[in-house]
Amino acid sequence: MRRPGTPLGFRLIHQVARYTDSMISLVREMYKYRELIWALALKDLKIRYKRSVLGFLWALLNPALLMIVLTVVFSTILSWNIPHYAVFLLSVLLPWTFFSQSLSYAAESIVGNGDLIKRIAVPIIVFPVAAVVSNMINFLLSIIPLALIVVVLGHPLHWTWIYLPVPLLALTIFTLGATFFFAAANVYYRDVAHILQILLQILFYVSPIIFTIEFFPEKYRWLFKLNPLVYFLNGFRLSVYYGLLPKWPSVTASFACAFISLAIGLAVFRKHQRNFVFYV
Amino acid sequence: MLQPAAVTVKNVTQSFRVIHERPDTVRELFARFFQSRTSYQDFLAISDVSFTLEKGHMLGILGRNGSGKSTLLKVIAGVYKPSSGSVQLNGSIAPLLELGAGMQPELTGRQNIILNGLLLGYSKREMRMREQAIIDFADVGDFIDAPVKQYSSGMYMRLAFAVATEVDPDILIVDEILAVGDFAFSQKCLERLRQFRQAGKTILFVSHSAQQVLDYCDRALVLNCGSVVFDGTADEAVKFYKGISAPAEAVVEAFI
Repeated sequence: MRRPGTPLGFRLIHQVARYTDSMISLVREMYKYRELIWALALKDLKIRYKRSVLGFLWALLNPALLMIVLTVVFSTILSWNIPHYAVFLLSVLLPWTFFSQSLSYAAESIVGNGDLIKRIAVPIIVFPVAAVVSNMINFLLSIIPLALIVVVLGHPLHWTWIYLPVPLLALTIFTLGATFFFAAANVYYRDVAHILQILLQILFYVSPIIFTIEFFPEKYRWLFKLNPLVYFLNGFRLSVYYGLLPKWPSVTASFACAFISLAIGLAVFRKHQRNFVFYV
Repeated sequence: MLQPAAVTVKNVTQSFRVIHERPDTVRELFARFFQSRTSYQDFLAISDVSFTLEKGHMLGILGRNGSGKSTLLKVIAGVYKPSSGSVQLNGSIAPLLELGAGMQPELTGRQNIILNGLLLGYSKREMRMREQAIIDFADVGDFIDAPVKQYSSGMYMRLAFAVATEVDPDILIVDEILAVGDFAFSQKCLERLRQFRQAGKTILFVSHSAQQVLDYCDRALVLNCGSVVFDGTADEAVKFYKGISAPAEAVVEAFI
């Protein structure tokens, strides 16, 4: 809707106000349904670890075993020149897993709960949110073996660990936006869940996870900076591995990406949510 | 003093877009795009339905299969947002649209009670308070701590019915649930409905059994092809309903 008389600045402010409103109502909704979201997230975890003898311990064991494999492969076989490669890698691999698993789970969350949505008037937004929450619990549990491996490998336990909630907050907001978008899109076209898997694989290799940007010639580095994940992962690796804090521009970029993602994802979700029940 | 109606349905129309071979995949979407042929039609499941239901009454809804009964109940329960028109409710609502909709097979009976209550909009604290009453009514014994997937279908339904009615809603929507389950269970359910009425609750009741509507409802609607064709006392509604469905019933009776 373009009104010729309205100056651009005014329209921009109007849009920003609308998105802010939408986000505030999201926070309110999440608070209102916090018990339901929590119960759904726990249910997700219970089903994930059902009938396994070790149960929730797998959330700790998975990263621990992965770390052992990685340490052996990268430090003895490939002998890369990065000390404590396991710490280097896991400091960003764990948040990456949180991001990619949240997306995979959330993309299926609305279609998977179709039976419920068709029978009970339930706010549909709780399903993708619950998917993010359940993966968040998993992520927080995997911090424990990460701390252990840091100690075991003799890597310094930097004070900058206390900075971790900041990149985690930014990543969570970014992830929520992306999950809203993909969960909504998957309701209409089930291909989305499959396309998402391919996108995530590509994203894994173009993000600084198994390497750093410095591995690449200077003239190509700007390309990597177009990838929003760089700014989130940067915060995790700097504080866990290097014991440094990210610079202000990087932090600002990460929150800017997070809120843009949330604004887009939420707008798409809200626009279509009343029709979901007819397509699940 | 005039009491506000429990349920006010105003000019509600619900249309569905029936898409013939809806493109389910992106490939089909592209194919469709190049053919530039749209093949859908809008189907009116219910059109221009209006009625009000006073607090404390039990309204029967009669109609043949496909007449729009379930769609109407889903609109009232808030599952569908109507294409046009509005629904106003006064009080909390518990839909018994299909028993056990919110049941998670992997969770135990006890966990399902809480989760179902949360899905219906109640708090965890409220559900903890009602937990024992629900368990008593469901009467599943030690199975309450076993995963619901191990339940017999009777136990499953008893638990679902118990959750939906123990939460003490002001308005209850009952859709054909009494057609399932054994005799003792349906008696128990009907007894529960009777208690509800005595407590001054409002009930919307869909049943294929004209007798049940006669026995329990004071008023009934007859739906046909998505429109209300009759609205009056239960006696008259049942007579009217038998009139419009006479040919079909004659066939059934010929077989019996």
